[in-house]
Amino acid sequence: MYHALLTNRYLTTRVIPLIAVAAVALCVALVIIVVSVMTGFLNMVKDSGRTLMGDVVVAYPISGIPYYDRLIERVEALEEAEAATPVVDSWGLMKMPYPDGPRKQTATVQIWGVDPESFARVTGYDETLYWRTLPDEEWQRRLDVAVSELWDELREQTERLGRVDDRPLVAKRGDDARTKLLDLMPRRQDGPQSLPESTPDLRENLRGLVGDDLWEYLVSLEPRLANLDQAYADGLSLHDRGRDRPGIVIGIEVSEGNERMPDGSYRPMRRGYWWMPQFEIVLTMVPIGVGGGLLEPESRFFRITNEFVSGVYLIDSKRVMIPIGIAQEMLQLDEAQLVDDEGQVTGIEPPRATMILIRAADGVTPEALRDKVSEVYRAFCTELANDESVPLSVLPPPEELGVTVLTWLQQQAQFIGPIEKERELMRTLFSLVYLVCAGLVLAIFWAIVYEKTRDIGILRSIGASRLGISWIFLRYGLVVGVLGSIVGLGLAYLIVHNINTIHTALGQPPLWLAVVLAAMALLALIATIVRSISGRLLPLVLGALITLTLIVLASLIYVLRSQGGVVIWDPTVYYFTEIPNELDLGSAWITMIGAVVFSLIGAFLPAAKAADTDPVKALRYE
Amino acid sequence: MSDASREILLSARDVRKTYRMGRVDVPVLKGASLEVEAGEWIAVLGASGSGKSTLLHLLGDLDQADPGGGEIRFAGRHVIQNSQRARNRYRNRSIGFVFQFYHLLPELNVLENTLLPALVGLSRLGYYAQRSELRSTARELLESFGLGHRLKHRPRELSGGERQRVAIARALMNKPTVLLADEPTGNLDEETGKGILDLLAEQHASGLTIVMVTHDPDIAARADRVVTLHDGRVVE
Repeated sequence: MYHALLTNRYLTTRVIPLIAVAAVALCVALVIIVVSVMTGFLNMVKDSGRTLMGDVVVAYPISGIPYYDRLIERVEALEEAEAATPVVDSWGLMKMPYPDGPRKQTATVQIWGVDPESFARVTGYDETLYWRTLPDEEWQRRLDVAVSELWDELREQTERLGRVDDRPLVAKRGDDARTKLLDLMPRRQDGPQSLPESTPDLRENLRGLVGDDLWEYLVSLEPRLANLDQAYADGLSLHDRGRDRPGIVIGIEVSEGNERMPDGSYRPMRRGYWWMPQFEIVLTMVPIGVGGGLLEPESRFFRITNEFVSGVYLIDSKRVMIPIGIAQEMLQLDEAQLVDDEGQVTGIEPPRATMILIRAADGVTPEALRDKVSEVYRAFCTELANDESVPLSVLPPPEELGVTVLTWLQQQAQFIGPIEKERELMRTLFSLVYLVCAGLVLAIFWAIVYEKTRDIGILRSIGASRLGISWIFLRYGLVVGVLGSIVGLGLAYLIVHNINTIHTALGQPPLWLAVVLAAMALLALIATIVRSISGRLLPLVLGALITLTLIVLASLIYVLRSQGGVVIWDPTVYYFTEIPNELDLGSAWITMIGAVVFSLIGAFLPAAKAADTDPVKALRYE
Repeated sequence: MSDASREILLSARDVRKTYRMGRVDVPVLKGASLEVEAGEWIAVLGASGSGKSTLLHLLGDLDQADPGGGEIRFAGRHVIQNSQRARNRYRNRSIGFVFQFYHLLPELNVLENTLLPALVGLSRLGYYAQRSELRSTARELLESFGLGHRLKHRPRELSGGERQRVAIARALMNKPTVLLADEPTGNLDEETGKGILDLLAEQHASGLTIVMVTHDPDIAARADRVVTLHDGRVVE
């Protein structure tokens, strides 16, 4: 009974245990914050990876699954499946529309031939298109940036050409567009040429500024200036309606046309190719023969109709989407006649898809769906084997002989695995602070036991048992651990919840804070001088320390500001615009329990020492 | 020695105790024997370092004699042969200690310090069952010692005499059979010391057995019987 009273009094009548509580709280908060942010990051990566993946993937790389439309039909008949879509994937070369001149840059890309409509149903592809109609203000903002860049470029070109005044040369080079621009562009002396940025609608402004002739010419260069919805529609259909050309949608990081801003948004970046969806590119793919050898490479032109953002750098920087029919043709996975040695047609080989992406119905787990799809695939193989119209040579292999049926998580393991490992590593490393916790509690309690030696003697003299004495200190450790954990949880919640605000403030610390800190430093300096006139050392040391800290903080803010601030969570590195700000409650519990356990461990030794204190010596102890 | 008809409550027989100071063994008690009758007030007189406090600690089972170095009996029972639990109970119920330096817990107020033996001796449930009764016992004790207005004060706010009264109240809280007092007036001026001795005398008059050690013959004279501790042995 006396334990509660004494623990309570020892805790409330001195500062040291409060320091112990604060130390435990800081340790707990640190671990919770780090693990929460890592978990949030992991979840974001998973979610964004899922966006273009569906829930279950049936894959048969390179060779492809024949009669996939029949498989899709069977899968879509499942209650557990919402939708399914075929994909033909391969690697290829993409000739970029830049730089100017005949030598263009070439990039290796992962090409996905998709059926855009069903692909959107399965993966939410439509939501990832960057140049789109929704939300309106966002679209307007992006277009305004594009328009003002175009304007700057046009003006620069006309001014340069006007200064050199060498139109025939330009014309001789065949650069009709520039010549025409030069003719149509208002001259410097003709009036105001800067585009007021405050205008609500830059397009209207541009139109008024350049006059109808130039506007029409600009629209002919870029029809989407006149029709906002077209880029989105063309991206959705993978077809350039304006020119009736097959379209390609590329990841936002595939080209150098977009620059990622610190706030995570993209803006068109290079003059001359300010908006990727205006260009034509050449895509080259190499089909692989039945024997595994390379066949003749095939190249085709595509219009870039849109760009997409999945949020996963590996996808955004590598993947491009084209219509599935064209991909099948280029990879020779399309329908073909089977011919025997004498040139007789023996049958029809069906088109193939290398992947079937399937989306689960609401409330169905990917694992449950995967098991169902596995069954369906086995039934599908049996059906084809019994179908006499199906030539033997085109039968798909059974599952596990090249064909895999995996959940999106298994399929994405190469992206997610390393991040998961990293989180566990962080958790383990940061869990070392538990040892700090235990060490602190040990040191503090050792000091307390030392200080309380006489009390221990007194308690023994009035009949307290050894266990009773040690329980006082164990209980004390328990209270410090529990209090510290709760305070730490609160602290972590506040910080994690406001982490983006804190991050922004750290990146751009307000100037007034520096001024306030400097003023406080001055006050502290004066106080230190006044207090240390008496010759005592403590006020001098304490005052000097406080003054110095304030000065360092103030100058740190000043330096940070003069450097333009810092960005710790750089979206160009982490690929998410915001730091995850959800508290990971599971980890929080584990962390809190760990802190309590380690506080107890820290208290064990001092408690044992207290129990073993010789009461006679303790009573003599003054 | 004692009359056979009188009851021996607490006794030490041929007790030896040796302390180790560095490499040297220092024998403090060399076969001390003492018999305390029920209701007796006995004073143990001795010079500083003669082993008076050690004898008191042995009697109160706060310290143990050398192995094979005599025995302490309380109401006929060999104290250290009891279970650990019974020995704790012995210190808690049968014995009350009063020290020269009061030894109050600085974090607890006067009332809580007085209640401490009751708190130590009872479980949480046991305490709450008798809470109001125990509190009124403590309050009455303190009031009878003239400390009724000091209940909520901390020891550091009290004078030396007041602190010693609180210490005596604490020692009496569990209504012990024997009070062991170690130089109870050693840290007090003469006037205050006399007050404390009067208080002990009052308790003695109401039947409490007291063993008091002191170096001062004048104080020892207040007791029924005075024995002297000399060269590790008790001399009548």
